[in-house]
Formats: sequence, structure tokens, C-alpha cells
Amino acid sequence: MVTLDEVLGSGLLQKPSGDAPEALQRQITNYKPLHTFKLEKTRPYQQQYADIYFLRLTKIRPAVEAAASAAWEGTVLGGEKVKRVERVLDVRQGELCWVAGTVYMDMPLKPSILEDVSKDRWISAPTSVGHYYSGNGEDSVMLEDDSGRIRLVGNALQNHFMVTGCIVAVMGTENANGEFEVIDLLFAELPPQPERWSLSKGKKEADSSEDVEMMDASFSGHPRKPSSKKIALVSGLEFSNADTSYAMELNLLLEYLLGEALDPSIQRDELSHITRLIIAGNSISTTAAEQAKPAAAFDTTTVTNKFQPQNKKYGYDSSSYNPVPSQLLDSFLSELLPTMPVTLLPGALDPANASYPQQPIHPAMFPQSRTYMPPPKAGAGKDRDVPGEEEPGWFDNVTNPWEGEIEGWRVLGTGGQNLDDVFKYVESEDRLGMMEAMCRWRCVAPTAPDTLWSYPFQEDEPFVIKECPHLFFVGCQPEFGTKVIHGPDGQAVRLIAVPSFSETREVVLVDTETLDVERVKIVAE
Amino acid sequence: MEDYKTYLAENILSEDKVVTYRLLSRALRVHPNVAKQMLYDFHKTQSSKKPGTVYATYLLYGIKKSVQNQNGNAMDIDLPSSLPDADPVDDEEVPSYTLVLVQEERLADVLKEYETISSIHVYSVGPHPAKDLTLLVDAAQSALAIKDDAKKPRPRTIVNSHVRRRERKGLGLKAAAPAKQESKTKAAPTKTAPAKPSPAPAPAAAPAKPQEESKSAAPAMEPEALTATTKKPAPSLKRNTSAASGIMQAFSKAASLPKKAKTSEKSTTAAEETPAALSDDGEDDDDVPLPKPGAVSTRKSKKEREEELRRMMEDDEDEDMEETADSPVPEEEEEEEPVVEEPPAKAEVAKEEEKEIVTTSGDGRRRGKRRVMKKKQIMDDQGYLVTIQEPAWESFSEDEAPPAAKPKPKVANSAPPAAAGKAKKPAPKGQGNIMSFFSKK
Repeated sequence: MVTLDEVLGSGLLQKPSGDAPEALQRQITNYKPLHTFKLEKTRPYQQQYADIYFLRLTKIRPAVEAAASAAWEGTVLGGEKVKRVERVLDVRQGELCWVAGTVYMDMPLKPSILEDVSKDRWISAPTSVGHYYSGNGEDSVMLEDDSGRIRLVGNALQNHFMVTGCIVAVMGTENANGEFEVIDLLFAELPPQPERWSLSKGKKEADSSEDVEMMDASFSGHPRKPSSKKIALVSGLEFSNADTSYAMELNLLLEYLLGEALDPSIQRDELSHITRLIIAGNSISTTAAEQAKPAAAFDTTTVTNKFQPQNKKYGYDSSSYNPVPSQLLDSFLSELLPTMPVTLLPGALDPANASYPQQPIHPAMFPQSRTYMPPPKAGAGKDRDVPGEEEPGWFDNVTNPWEGEIEGWRVLGTGGQNLDDVFKYVESEDRLGMMEAMCRWRCVAPTAPDTLWSYPFQEDEPFVIKECPHLFFVGCQPEFGTKVIHGPDGQAVRLIAVPSFSETREVVLVDTETLDVERVKIVAE
Repeated sequence: MEDYKTYLAENILSEDKVVTYRLLSRALRVHPNVAKQMLYDFHKTQSSKKPGTVYATYLLYGIKKSVQNQNGNAMDIDLPSSLPDADPVDDEEVPSYTLVLVQEERLADVLKEYETISSIHVYSVGPHPAKDLTLLVDAAQSALAIKDDAKKPRPRTIVNSHVRRRERKGLGLKAAAPAKQESKTKAAPTKTAPAKPSPAPAPAAAPAKPQEESKSAAPAMEPEALTATTKKPAPSLKRNTSAASGIMQAFSKAASLPKKAKTSEKSTTAAEETPAALSDDGEDDDDVPLPKPGAVSTRKSKKEREEELRRMMEDDEDEDMEETADSPVPEEEEEEEPVVEEPPAKAEVAKEEEKEIVTTSGDGRRRGKRRVMKKKQIMDDQGYLVTIQEPAWESFSEDEAPPAAKPKPKVANSAPPAAAGKAKKPAPKGQGNIMSFFSKK
């Protein structure tokens, strides 16, 4: 416990000493974004969505089958040997076998386009229901592949998260009702993990800039690890002019990141070590009136819903456009950019496209911060598709989800829509568990395109995680959480659920050497 | 630096404003840490003189005492709170720091909640107790409004020497302007100068697009484009009425480019009367020489030009444009076809070489004779005033400056040099969009 007398008269609580301290240097980290989720500008939308499932199955099936045969080959249950069947429809009644396919969850609460059309219910704004999971037995799990689908039952299903789009291998037998009783269930598990520094020609030598600074200030009590470079993760800044309850905290956040706040010792030890800021979504929020609170107002069973804003034309109300939020974000960024590089992921509320994968927010939204971005390429739009070797901009606006390499660590991050959607399918509240499940399913957005709007990929499905990241963060979550998970081949992934700043006023700091996590909470009383 | 007291007194006491350390540091151009100390000092002296006039808010940073189970329990619905210290949401304990802004009245209480405090300083000083944070917010915002004086930048706490800003567009435009002048003067000569795949004729045939591009503000457009504006192909066809040809010319130009470059060929036959309004109207490129119709050059380049155009067109996605434009002039073209197909490549090649005769310069200047396309207006036998382009020789003398500014016209299909690329940046936009309207059909 600290008393007032202790702190007075020390540090900055004294007369100005008259000497102008010199500016500290901020360090830099190695940064290389990957363009895995960039889409072409002229992409067509004529294709069917079914190809996505096919691509996903083709990519993950070999891994799942390898794991399954390793686990189940030669198993004998009740005198019968387990056999592998090629297709879902080849399952015969009474025969013990295993098969791999895609899971499909049939839930009556899921928004279904067929229902909307058949009941002639055209709703211009997307409805958002809180939970698809009804828990009353109406939901059913099915296994599907190119040949057909079969319903899965069994207690073994309760132990695992299941959502539409994850690839599994199940072992069991078909019972009299034509349903497949599941005895055991397997996923593809974590994909192979690349080495650190696999992409950037790395600074393999130990950073000489790693300061081993221990406390020197008079009253800094707590022991701290040697400070190395840190990355700041924040999400849900939600600049708006309607809701100002956290405006002071936003200012404090800016000062904290800029390094203007706090003592010189803290500035030297901690703040100058923050080398990059990653904003994981929801930087701009709509005005409070239009903000659709999930599971609150929308009533899917009736046609009209009470909270529908007036004057909706083309699905949005143009008279309520307010430029102030993006201006606030722009001035925040332009203050911060001279000293710190920023990576900006769009989120559900940001002005980017609504379907997954969200493309980068256009530089036109940031008139002041635009100077820190690379200039538009001289060629026509097609040049943009080529992820050239040019340096990423100081202010890097990237896709959501996003993959990149920072200081040698492979990082995968999303703005939160994928996790929120998976959350609606399952009963549990364990978001970290769901993140872990997504890694083990090897799919970042398994529910796309079922309930998560997505682009109809034709040749390649980028949501499949080919190489296991070292760090997986998801933004705009209701609260902070972190965990390290391990894979069968020794992979280790640090999962971070980044809380929404507007709710919790927290920033997450990740150490770039050890991938340890700290959180800083900002309070203005 | 001693005037901070007067500054603060004035702002806080007289003007009734709240002053944060950021505002102070920007206004007085001092380091923020020094500003914090100033605030403290002022607050102290003022309070001792007349207590109750100024109120301060403090910024604390430290670790709160770990009684924070309310974080976890509030969220959880199912889990029983049997484990008070194990936070069910956090699977591991992470160090958690807190940054707090408190008013001075509450300072003592807040300090009690903290296990350790790493930093404390005065955040702001105001004339009234800061009950409402909006005042502070406004003060904080106003701090941002004070712009930096470039001559004497205020001290910053942390700087980053690696920051990359991109160049302003203004520079790009300036660079473009001189390039344009240059290109104008060197219109024809420069054609051959850059190692273009196709010689002058090819550029001549350059699609309307590049030509339009050159017209657009973007400077440094390929001089080739200028030369290329040889709509003679189209012109030859449309020589009926200038009015009608005006519009069709736009189409025919494009048309003439890719598939039916032969236009130039036909010029040989009917050529003379051609250009008429076509070459004149719309395009300001008087200096664009067209390969003289009837000359072997036209024939030779037809093939090449066609290729060029096709390539260029494909790049610009104007193929459709070509198509549509082509339709109006298909018949005429037909006859040309056979004639056109022939142009022996060899002839062209031969012709190419002699675009320019340069005598070696002794004193850093290039001198020599250059082949330029000159326009001539002749009164036709039918009474039409036609403009033909014919090559002529002119001598030139210029500095050794490498034609770097040569527009890397798409004609050339060569990677545009960076400088020109920047200048050219604004150019394609206008042209590309307009033409693409037609091309999509």
C-alpha cells in the first residue's frame, strides 16, 4: 500500500529541474505482412458457395484421415475390426467403420435464406440472433461430403465443439434409424508450425537492443522482467461522437502509447519498448441509435421489428451519416503514427466490406494519416494483387483475417466476427476454448459461408490454416483471455482474446521474445 | 521557461480553463515531463498562497491490489465461485497494470487500492474540481489542436527514426511538368531514343488511349503517345464530314489501333484526303507526326503497330472498345486487310533504324539530324482541306541528359521509370475511366 507522503516530492512531483531531457528512441520490430486474404478488385460473384466446402474438405481431409488411421487402425471393438469407408454414403448398417467429412449443424434458429424466401420475408438489414443453439433437441449434427450426408448421434458429441464447416473423422456404426452412432471423434489437429524467422531473413543474432533494465526509480516496487520489445494489441476503440463515456480513456491511451504520460523511468523502460500497435477491429462505431445490440431487439419471428430506423433506403439511412468518428480515428492515428507503426484490421463495425474476408479499409478514410501509407501503385488495379516485395507501409491497413510475421513469429489475427459466429453455435461461453478448437480444426472461419457472410471462393480457400501460427489473436471480445495450447508435433500457440476497449478499457501488450502477455487497464474516475 | 507560471495563471485563473500537461508542453514548447513538473509546481505554490483556487488531477500507474475477482465472476454464469482466486476466464495470471486518472480529493483513497505505484504525476490543473470529465476531454482535445511550428519543433518523448512517410503528390506533379515540356520538344526524336520495341510507326499507331493519356494533365506521357495520335488510320476512313467524324473518330481511333492497324496502310491509297478533321480535332498534339501514308513505313508498321496496339490495348482493357469502334468501319477496313497484312516486317525494321542520325557530341550536347513528322495542309482536288503528315528531317541539338523523363509509355511496354511513373500517376486515371466505359460493352 502506498501512501501519499511516499510519493510526494519524488519523481515528477517536484519543481521543474530546468534540464530538457532528450527524446527517447523507439525501437522497431521486423514486420512482414502476408497477403493471404487479399481478394482481387475485380472478383466475380457468380460462383456457387458449395465450392468452398469442397476445397476445405480436400485440403483438410488428408490430415484428418492420417490422424484417424493412426488412431483407429487395427482397433477391435466388440469383436469387430474398424474399417475405413470412402464416402459417407458407403456406411452400412451394423458395420463398424470410420469416415471423414464436413460437419453440418442443422439448427432451426439459424437464419436460413430458404425460409426467408418461402415465407416471403425480405429483411433488408441482416438480423442478428443471439444464439442459434436451442438446446432443446431440435438441433442435429450431420456429417456430409460430396456424396451425401448422414446424421450423427451419440454422447461422444457432447465433449467437443462442433460447428458447421469443421472437418472431422468419426468412428461408429449406423443404427436402425439410419443415424450414425458416434463412438469416437477426431480432428485434424494443429498444422505444422514453421520455425521462427521462417519468412523474414531474420535478425537471428540476439537483439543487442534488448535492454535489461531493472527498476531504478525510487518507488517502483514490483519486479519486472527485462524489458524487451512489445507489441500493443487493442480492439474496439469505437470512436464515435455519440458515446463519450470512454473518450477520456481514449485520450489517455493515446498519451500512453505516445509515451508522453508517466514517469521518465516508465517511459524509458516500458513505453519506448512498445514497437507496434495492432488495432484488431471496430475502430469506428455507428451512432448509438443504429447500433444493433445482438439478441436484444430483433425479433425474427415477426416481420416488423421495433428498432428499425426510419427512412431506410438501400438498407441504410444516409441522413444519419456522421463523419466525426472517422475523423476522430484519423486524428488519433496521425498523432500516433510519427512514432509508432500501426496495423489496422477492419472489424464488424468498420467501413469495409461486410463479407469475410474483409478487405483493407480504403486509405481515403484517413486524409491525415494517409501520408504514412505507401502511395497507390502506378499500374492499374491488377498490380495490387501481386504481393510484391515492396515494403509494407508504416501505416498498414490489412485484411481481416490477417496473417503476418512480426519479429519472426507467425501471427494470425481476426477482428472477431469468426469467433462470435462460432460462439452462437455452441452452448459454452468459453471463447478461448473455441479459439483452440478453431486451431485444431485448422480453419479460421469454419462457419463461413453458412452463417458468416463470405466471398465464394473458387480456386483456393484461404481460411484453412496451412501453417500453424505462433500467435493467434481475436479482437472485439467481451473480455480478455489468453492461453497457450500445444499440438501433437510440439507446436505451441499463444491464443489471445483481445477485449473491446470501449467495454473494458484494456490494452494488451505482447512481449516479442517470449510471447508473454500483459494487460494495461486505463481508468478515468 | 519561467513564464510558465504566468501562462498557467492566465489560463487557469483568468480564463477558467483546464490545462493539461500536454497542452502546456505544446504551448510552451517544452518537454512533456518538464510540463508535468511545471504543473505540479504551480499547483503547489498556488495552493499554498490561496488554497482552493486550483485543483489538480493526477495520473497513476501501477499494480492494483489483487482483489479483482469481480472481473471473472461477473462474467461467469455457470461456474460456481468456489475458487475465488482462480479466474476462470483467464487460464493464466497475466500481469495487469492500471493507468488511473484521479482527482486530488480522491488521491489518497485511490492510492490505498494499489499495491505498487510505478508512476505518478500531475495530469492537469483546473480552477474547479474536476467533477465532470468532459472538461478534461475538451482540454485534451485542444492540446491536439495546437499545431507544431516547423521551425522549432516541440520536444517529444519518444521518436522513431524509422518512420516512413510517402512523398507528397505535389512533387510528383511538379516533376511532371518539366517532363512534359521536354517530351513536347522531343516528340519525334524521342520516339526512337528509348529502346522501344517498335519504332516510330508503332508508337504512331499507339492507341487512342495513350494519346488521350498524353492529353490529360499527367505530363510525361509518352511522347510516343503524342506521336501515336496518328489517327490517320481512322481518319482515312472517316473523312466525310468533320462533324460526324468527330465523334466516330474517337471510336475509330481505338478501333484503328489494335485489330485494324492497317488504317495506316490504307492511307497509302486514299490516305491523302484522310486526316482532315480527324487528326486535328480533339487532339492538341500537333507535334505528333504520323507516319507518312503511302510510305513504306506505314505498311511496315501496320503489323507491328497492330501488335503494339493489341498489347497496349490488352493492358488497358480496351479491347472491347476496339471491337465496338471497329464495327462502324469494318467495310472500309476489309479492303485494306489484304494490303495491310503484307507489310513486310523487314521493311519496317529497315525503316526503323533511320529515325535519327546523331553526330557524336564533343561538348556534352547531342547533335544531329532527326526525322520528324511534319504536318502539311493541302487543298484536295475535291475541295477538302486535308492535313497529311510526312516525315522530314530536322537537325537538333540537345543536352546529353538521358531521356529519362521519356514517358515510358505503355506503348513501350517497358516498366515505367519510377520518376515518370509518379508523374504519370494522375494521368491514366481520367483516360482509363472514360474509355473503359466503352470498352465494357
